[in-house]
Amino acid sequence: MVQHAPSLGRAAGHTSAQRLRGIVGWAQRNGLFFALLIIVVFFATRSDRFLTLTNLHVVLLQVAVVGIIAVPGAMLLTAGYVDLAIGSIAVLGSVVFGELMNAGWSAAPASLIALLVGLGWGLATGYVVAYLGFSPVVVTLGGLAGARGVAEILSQGFTKYGFGSGFAQLGNGEFLGIDTPVWIFLLVFLLGSYAWYQTPLGRHITAIGAERAAAHSLGVATRRIPFLLYGASGLAAALGGLIVTSQLDAASLSIGINLELSVLSAILLGGVSFTGGRGSLFGVLIGVLFIGALDNGLVQMNVGPYYQRAAVGLALVLAAALDVLYQHLDRIPVEASETAESDARLAAGKGGAA
Amino acid sequence: MSDRPVAGDVVMTEPASARLERAPVLEVRGISKRFGAVRALHDVSFALYPGEVAGLIGDNGAGKSTLVNIIAGSLQPDSGQIFVDGVERHFESAAQARAAGIETVFQYLSLVPTLDMAENVFLNREIFAFGQLGRWLRWMDKAEMRRQTSEGFSRLGLTLPSPRTKVAALSGGQRQAVAIARAVIWGGHIVVLDEPAAALGVKQTEIVLSFIERLRAHGVACIFISHNMEHVMRVADRIILMRLGEKIFDAPAATTTAPDLVALMTGAISARTV
Ligand SMILES: Nc1ncnc2c1ncn2[C@@H]1O[C@H](COP(=O)(O)OP(=O)(O)OP(=O)(O)O)[C@@H](O)[C@H]1O
Ligand SMILES: [Mg+2]
Repeated sequence: MVQHAPSLGRAAGHTSAQRLRGIVGWAQRNGLFFALLIIVVFFATRSDRFLTLTNLHVVLLQVAVVGIIAVPGAMLLTAGYVDLAIGSIAVLGSVVFGELMNAGWSAAPASLIALLVGLGWGLATGYVVAYLGFSPVVVTLGGLAGARGVAEILSQGFTKYGFGSGFAQLGNGEFLGIDTPVWIFLLVFLLGSYAWYQTPLGRHITAIGAERAAAHSLGVATRRIPFLLYGASGLAAALGGLIVTSQLDAASLSIGINLELSVLSAILLGGVSFTGGRGSLFGVLIGVLFIGALDNGLVQMNVGPYYQRAAVGLALVLAAALDVLYQHLDRIPVEASETAESDARLAAGKGGAA
Repeated sequence: MSDRPVAGDVVMTEPASARLERAPVLEVRGISKRFGAVRALHDVSFALYPGEVAGLIGDNGAGKSTLVNIIAGSLQPDSGQIFVDGVERHFESAAQARAAGIETVFQYLSLVPTLDMAENVFLNREIFAFGQLGRWLRWMDKAEMRRQTSEGFSRLGLTLPSPRTKVAALSGGQRQAVAIARAVIWGGHIVVLDEPAAALGVKQTEIVLSFIERLRAHGVACIFISHNMEHVMRVADRIILMRLGEKIFDAPAATTTAPDLVALMTGAISARTV
């Protein structure tokens, strides 16, 4: 007979633990969302322009590039890897595009080559990290310096500009009143959510980040998945670089500076554990919007850029605190008596949302 | 995928004495293995019958883990044969042994604490919805996987919280039970347990031992390694005792006592005097 029924002495403890789990579990699912709501309300009371449709467009446009790169970035981090080179891959993609345009190419093939360079850089990184076991931090820190270095060599420090009206659509165009980069972000996010929630990829990524040996023994592709994710990260970074290039109409060497900081902040605020093994893509979306709203709100309030940085820093410390809380939450024991109720719910076909 | 055979259909009705007439699910013959100068196993043979729990005991370094690693496919023997359901097999990997129905549950469990029970049970064995199209899109049928998880647990008589519960929230004994249940749900009819209760408390150990006892009713054969005589005497139908790489004793548990076994293990007496 399996003995799950707790002794009388522990019964009370279990009940309050369960209640705590209920409350904090709710906060875990919705906490960041309410934090976002609070800053939105706060900024709305401070600035008339904050809560306008125009400004919403501005915020979304501002976060689109960060969001596009954060989708594969969140997957990488959950699998226990990190890509610090994204900002430099973005500028490399931009410069490759600029040089090709300068050499007389047209925009479409030049963009394609730029994207392939990003993809290739990511896959090369993925190969040495996932297959050869090199340290992700060290290798991508190398990429952070290296990709920008290559971009500087290629451009010799000269900014190429003037790419025509067709290419300008990528960064400045709009469709149904929504800016093209926002559409791209939406598309990337939807694709990512499908892969994360509806295909086995999400749980395999979580398994790799949490229990690598266990995942491997069950036949999960513990090397191929991170390898491909690095490729996706490089591709997304180059795409982000092209979008900014289009917005500036210049392959500027200032593109992508500190981009990894914004992307990682959004991911970590979104509840992805820095050590891997836990995360949700939906949380990352809220994290991206949080960073966008914070930046934009502080600008609206005419607070200097120094305060913006400090605010993001503070938010990150908060995210670290939440991370500890989440880990603790996962470990609060449950009782077997919950079974009957949940099985009844399952039988009724109302599994509830993840 | 959902139409694979499931465990639990076989119910043992014969008395244990009838086992000799049944075909063994697993038979090893003359297995030897050396690691350089170390003779880890020498000419080991035994047979395991459906629904039987064999307690594999012996002092440190007796060769128990080497033997089960060979059965589980993670090690290859120098010589000897392995038969599963009467068919000779040469396992080159753990995956091949698993495909033949041999599941190994190690002390470090192959469970992911940040995933829930259903996600763990179906990890890398996901069920897809919408037939061929769903398989092509890799669109999972999550409700079905949760349903099969609950159903599998209850069929094995395991009372556990909802399949949506994260494994991190389970106790050590519950985790062991989930790992063993997963093996059985996946059609493992030979389950190898290398010291499953080594790091568990009294109550947690009870969960695991009673679960092993219950597997018998589902026709699952177990090889159970433990250094704890009390545990072995409780769950094992049969005792296989190893010493310095050789099998020196193999008899029904009822015919022996713990002190005798300890004496045999340490070499204080020889098998003939028992
Ligand atoms: N990979 C290996 N390389 C070299 N020697 C090994 C290896 N694996 C096991 N051995 C040796 O083989 C012998 C049998 O080891 P094994 O691990 O099978 O013993 P065991 O009965 O499981 O012991 P324990 O009770 O300590 O787990 C020991 O002498 C051991 O040192
Ligand atoms: Mg051992």
